[in-house]
Amino acid sequence: MVYDPIPPEVRHRLKGLRLFARRASGASGIGLHASRSRGAGLEFAQYRAYEPGDELRQIDWKLYARSDKFFVRESERESPLRVWIVLDLSASMGQSDAAKPGWSRLEAARAMAACVGELALRQGDAFGLITLSDRGVAVVEAAAGLKARDRLRLELFKLKPEGGFPSLAQLSPVWCRIRAQDMVMVFSDGFDEGCAELMTRLSAAGRDVLMVQTLTAEERDFPFQGGYRFDDPEGGAEVLGDGKALRADFLKRFAAARQAFEARLFAAGVRHTHYWLDEPVDAPLWRLFGQKPSGKETV
Amino acid sequence: MPALLFPLGLAALLAVVVPLVIHLMRRDELRPLVFAALRWLDPRPKPRQRIRFSEWPLLWVRLLLIAMLALLLARPVLTAPLSDKPYVAVVPGADPKAAQQAVGEDAEAHWLTAGFPRLSDTPGAVGEVSSRLRQLDAQLPQGVKLTVVVPQTLQGVDAERPILSRTVDWRIVARAMPAAKSVATKLPVLSLRYAPDRAADVRWFRAVSAAWQTPFEAAGADAALPPKDRVLVWLGSGNVPPAVRARVKSGGTVLVGAQTVLPASPQRRVVWRDATGAPLMEAQGEGRGEWLRLTRPLRPAVFPELLEPTFPDQLAAVLSPPPSPARVEARDLIPVVGRSIFTRPSEELTPWLALLVAALFLIERLLATAARRRAAP
Repeated sequence: MVYDPIPPEVRHRLKGLRLFARRASGASGIGLHASRSRGAGLEFAQYRAYEPGDELRQIDWKLYARSDKFFVRESERESPLRVWIVLDLSASMGQSDAAKPGWSRLEAARAMAACVGELALRQGDAFGLITLSDRGVAVVEAAAGLKARDRLRLELFKLKPEGGFPSLAQLSPVWCRIRAQDMVMVFSDGFDEGCAELMTRLSAAGRDVLMVQTLTAEERDFPFQGGYRFDDPEGGAEVLGDGKALRADFLKRFAAARQAFEARLFAAGVRHTHYWLDEPVDAPLWRLFGQKPSGKETV
Repeated sequence: MPALLFPLGLAALLAVVVPLVIHLMRRDELRPLVFAALRWLDPRPKPRQRIRFSEWPLLWVRLLLIAMLALLLARPVLTAPLSDKPYVAVVPGADPKAAQQAVGEDAEAHWLTAGFPRLSDTPGAVGEVSSRLRQLDAQLPQGVKLTVVVPQTLQGVDAERPILSRTVDWRIVARAMPAAKSVATKLPVLSLRYAPDRAADVRWFRAVSAAWQTPFEAAGADAALPPKDRVLVWLGSGNVPPAVRARVKSGGTVLVGAQTVLPASPQRRVVWRDATGAPLMEAQGEGRGEWLRLTRPLRPAVFPELLEPTFPDQLAAVLSPPPSPARVEARDLIPVVGRSIFTRPSEELTPWLALLVAALFLIERLLATAARRRAAP
């Protein structure tokens, strides 16, 4: 059985979506993304038999010398866009709603990452995966093609939320791999200061950063009645309290915190949206990439 | 009217404290919850709240369940509602007009027959005056005045003045209850079947039969059985043969000697005792007929009554008892006061209450497990 984190109905809706980089859009009319290397034939694709009309300079003469037949060397036009899917793997990503116990933030992030991979695959863009945890930052090299998609799925399958967010020193592989003009898609709850810091810096350094803040429906509605012991999955801190008594204050403070966070991302030039756990998985992607929000299911 | 047979059972109501305490305690139980957005929660401990119970419907059902159990222990009964109006009973045979005059025009009178119909209705089957009188006394509530209108002569009484729980206004009016038809007592006809070793005993029965002046017949054990209307005397040892047993089952009366073993029966009773109270004859029913068994061998040494001149009469009284006298002058049957008050018949509510308790328990389980299902993450 093939592991596929994308729900079928979402896969169907993905057809209307297209990844686009902000810096590229409108700058150039050729191709899907802005491209600095226009020349064909950087990446070998296949040989095919010569047909009249083909340019002579495309014939592989060395092969002709070996086989006494004309072959045309074809190569893929490489897309300059490279998409990095960055997943926060801290323990808080394991939180899910009581109403939908199996559907944690990480599950949703996985599905969204797979969606992004699917979109990039369709456009021929390269995509890689970076997972952030204080146990180590894992990098899957960016590549295009079905093989890369399978690799992505395999890596996504293995993910488990544990630990906290990595420190700045641990984040050095991120800086090594993500080059300028690359697209970075961050899936995180955004509760860690380090995460916001990372995105701000990446954006300032000329990377095209997008962020989907995955939040549970309980954080939006706070539907708790009666006594609860609220445990922090990362810090071990706990708060005892009555759900009803805490609700109004929490909603006020949480909304304010979200507003401040979004303002900070906006100031840093990070395109961002949110994802509530009771939404369809593609809703944030539509909010980010949907060109005609009115006609589509964007929620 | 509802009543409690064991009011102390209501002390079990004290157990309502248990669910109350349970529902109070469960409030303090904090459900753990993973919550990453902890830093925006107000960490101040919540102010201690007033006494609050969780899960009200479940609590109510539990309280109700305990209340019903306590009620069940108290054994509620439902007694028929009774009026305290004076009661007038008229024995059939009394002149209705005279009866009505004796008790007054407006009094509500009933016939003293089965079901106690009103005086305007037909009286129903006549008879058993004493028995009905006792029944009426038992059914009437305590303190209700009872007036009984009787004719001068009563029929269908037993040989005792009724002992009732109240004083009865005993009014004797003209007329008499019709006398029962006189029944001629028929003396039984004996037919003997004897084993050869018991031939000596035949003479006693021949003598009895001669005293009764009835026909007598005796034959060996192998001879055919006599017709059904005769009393078969079976003189043999050990178990009775199947043919004799079949005769009893189909309604015959068989008298056996002391050496015969009768089939075991829980209904065995003594029907004839000697002057000292020692049993002489015992009886037991089987099928539609009856076994009679002499408990002693027919020898004067052990059965001295054989030689008494009254032996034939006593045996006849056992075999065909004479009707007991049932006719008496009304003035001789005035009831006396003395019997303690009967407990009035009442309908037990226990089975219905038990059903209710079971249903409540089912609801309680449903509610309780539903709550757990909901709380499960």
